[in-house]
Amino acid sequence: MGLTNKDNEIINQQGPGFVITSVDKLVNWARTGSMWPVTLGLACCGIEMMHSAAARYDTDRFGVFYRPSPRQSDVMIVAGTLVNKMAPALRKVYDQMAEPKWVISMGSCANGGGYYHHSYSVVRGCDQIIPVDIYVPGCPPTAEALINGIIELQKKIKSEESITNE
Amino acid sequence: MNSHSSIDILKTKLSEFNLAFLDNEHNPLLQINQGDLIAVCKILKTDSDLDYSMLIDVCAVDYLTYGEADWKTNDATSSGYSRAVKQTIIPDANETFVERFAVYYQLLSLSYNRRLTLKAFTTEINPPSVPSINKIWNSANWFEREAFDLMGIHFKGHPNLTRILTDYGFIGHPFRKDFPTNGNLEVVYDEEEERVIYQPVSISTRPSVPKVIRDNNDRE
Repeated sequence: MGLTNKDNEIINQQGPGFVITSVDKLVNWARTGSMWPVTLGLACCGIEMMHSAAARYDTDRFGVFYRPSPRQSDVMIVAGTLVNKMAPALRKVYDQMAEPKWVISMGSCANGGGYYHHSYSVVRGCDQIIPVDIYVPGCPPTAEALINGIIELQKKIKSEESITNE
Repeated sequence: MNSHSSIDILKTKLSEFNLAFLDNEHNPLLQINQGDLIAVCKILKTDSDLDYSMLIDVCAVDYLTYGEADWKTNDATSSGYSRAVKQTIIPDANETFVERFAVYYQLLSLSYNRRLTLKAFTTEINPPSVPSINKIWNSANWFEREAFDLMGIHFKGHPNLTRILTDYGFIGHPFRKDFPTNGNLEVVYDEEEERVIYQPVSISTRPSVPKVIRDNNDRE
């Protein structure tokens, strides 16, 4: 943003200025209003993820609707058991997403391996492969729980200072 | 419905083979020598009185530690259930024997509404092998690939006996009793190499034998 050292000094002493905080709010409002997740249903959590997107819960109310391509996505919802064979593909999909990007880990399996923690073929938590912002507990979490996770992620994004933080 | 029992019909039709019936009439389990497998299967499928036209499943069983368990199995219902025991029985692949593996075939006769389980032991040690029945029932193709992948059974004559489920480059056959439950490798993302790498597994092993109650003392 072309901030000089003197600008940063002023920001550190007085907090962010009036114009910059408003721009932050505007940017975060835009980001939270259109979180497009990449469709990544790996197991039964994927069914609950579909429920959250369908007519009854309708995450489109939050501007959340699912994209078939990581290039068009802001959020990755890892919904289900991540197996060793899938891990390089998952990382590739994550790497293909444009910045800024966030990850919601949905369900016990994605959080820490869950029921399959001691298995020979399952990754013990998708945070071994990609950085995770929000963990949604449950086996599987209900559609309401996932929506709660989405709202929590919105709160997290709103608390970020995307411009003044440099 | 045919008034003869299905076991009588099987005995008549397969009189030239060496058979052993191991279960009851309603759920027949027929053990055969693996040398007879192809001939028996052809009769089971083509004979109009048997007509086992559908192969439901093929599975393999590892008898390496059969009957041994860390769980309390006999007195559990009178003395209380045990949980999370320590592993004392460590399966050793070097203690293998000729009839370590058996292959089971689940058959269904659609016209007679009858089911039949075929059982055949493998005869060779390394690798254990049985003839492929892919040419008789086409559905055996992927079933046999799965049994090969997870148990290491070689189905002689299979058109494409390659791994079907486990990871690319996977070593070992995970459903064998001497394979550790945790596996040998795990995957993590390496920040420096910027790719997903394999590393030795970081958690310790634990018993993998399912809890089986063999005698229920509650009923006495």
